[in-house]
Amino acid sequence: MSGKEFFIRRYEELGWTYSDVELKPSIRINATNAKKAEVLERLESQGIRLEKVPFLDSGYWILESEFSVGAMAEYLLGLYSIQEAAAQIPATLFSELKQKIVLDACAAPGGKTVQLADLMENTGVIVALDVKRLRLFALSNQLERCRVRNAIVYQLDAREATRLNMRFDCVLLDVPCSGNFVTDKEWFKRRTLKDVERNAELQRQILTEAVRVVKAEGEIIYSTCTLEPEENELNIDWAIKALDLEVEKIDCPGQNGLTNVFGTELDASLADCRRTWPRETQGFFVCKLRKRA
Amino acid sequence: MKKVRMLLDFISRFHAADTVLDTDLVVKKENRFFLINTELRLHIQKDFFYAGAYLGKAKGNVFFPSFILLAMMAEKKTNRVAVDDKGAWLFICGRDIFKRGILNVVGSVRKGDYTLVVNRRMECLGFGRITRNIDDERDVKRVVVKNISDVGDFLRREKSKA
Repeated sequence: MSGKEFFIRRYEELGWTYSDVELKPSIRINATNAKKAEVLERLESQGIRLEKVPFLDSGYWILESEFSVGAMAEYLLGLYSIQEAAAQIPATLFSELKQKIVLDACAAPGGKTVQLADLMENTGVIVALDVKRLRLFALSNQLERCRVRNAIVYQLDAREATRLNMRFDCVLLDVPCSGNFVTDKEWFKRRTLKDVERNAELQRQILTEAVRVVKAEGEIIYSTCTLEPEENELNIDWAIKALDLEVEKIDCPGQNGLTNVFGTELDASLADCRRTWPRETQGFFVCKLRKRA
Repeated sequence: MKKVRMLLDFISRFHAADTVLDTDLVVKKENRFFLINTELRLHIQKDFFYAGAYLGKAKGNVFFPSFILLAMMAEKKTNRVAVDDKGAWLFICGRDIFKRGILNVVGSVRKGDYTLVVNRRMECLGFGRITRNIDDERDVKRVVVKNISDVGDFLRREKSKA
């Protein structure tokens, strides 16, 4: 069970007609390090044409650029980060971040960790985990470049977060997922339903551990960049039934989460999740979960 | 303490104010130094990989500063040369500083001293060693600050991984 036709047929069953998408590159201004207007002026004076992403405070699409935005002085000085527009959404969905104790459970390469630090204005504590040591170097470089000061990084599997003996106000679960065809041109050739199911199982294990370390009434933001419902709605449906979590409404772009997947009825609250089919951004799924007191 | 001394010695080579660092909050992991705060101190565990503000690493008797440390130093009174846009761009590409690119100098102009290199907005781009007494040098085409480290290193690190 694989191949382009197989997956496209699944998407049609879920209500979306496949079309090729050209992803628009985007940046996020690190407001802690610089005034937005000043960064915009500096970039525009160097011939970079930007357009504000309507659903983000600090996100801008790059419409035109003579240079690589990843090689400019402003980038090297940590005034902005290169971050896909949809990927900028999850960290913005926490109710309050300043002074909080936050877990970024699958942190590398660090784009969202830096964004969390920016939203927290370097207050509180971010504990950032990743299981692969090599990926921690990429994460560390991001933290250094963006002058993050409130993060502690551990080489640790998110499924073992209880080893930290800590309780968190907020947990960001940008979980490892199957990805999507927009960011990976070989996606349809490489992915099978078996991969999807394997990732879904891993994500359930990570969700289970996250519930153990989040405080009562604490918030978990769960996100993936895959379109596959096994890793999205079906996992969240399982989580709210098995893990004492409830889905909260969020204010962000995208369609309601699916409440019927291939004929299976899911909890009605799944509609409060957000599913973004590829168009202006890559495909994306995000939801906010609260641990019941 | 000996290793923290190395860090402080490095800072002192820029004639920087002593207040750059609270050494009580400096923690070391293998050969790397980090500056944490009181909040992080409550939560940090000994097997951390990275914490707070990365300050740099020691290799033998040589200290390699982070760009966070250099930026912290740039906020204080310390040796620095401000360079024009062209000089700034060349510097982050790994080139040295020519006399003609210098807009102004704060602190030492003496050959052999370390100095931060900042752009016209006073953002720290890295540091170098003064190779000729800056005030005395009349030839604008001469290198007066040799590049030791610049923020273009972030790109070089990415390329070396690739």
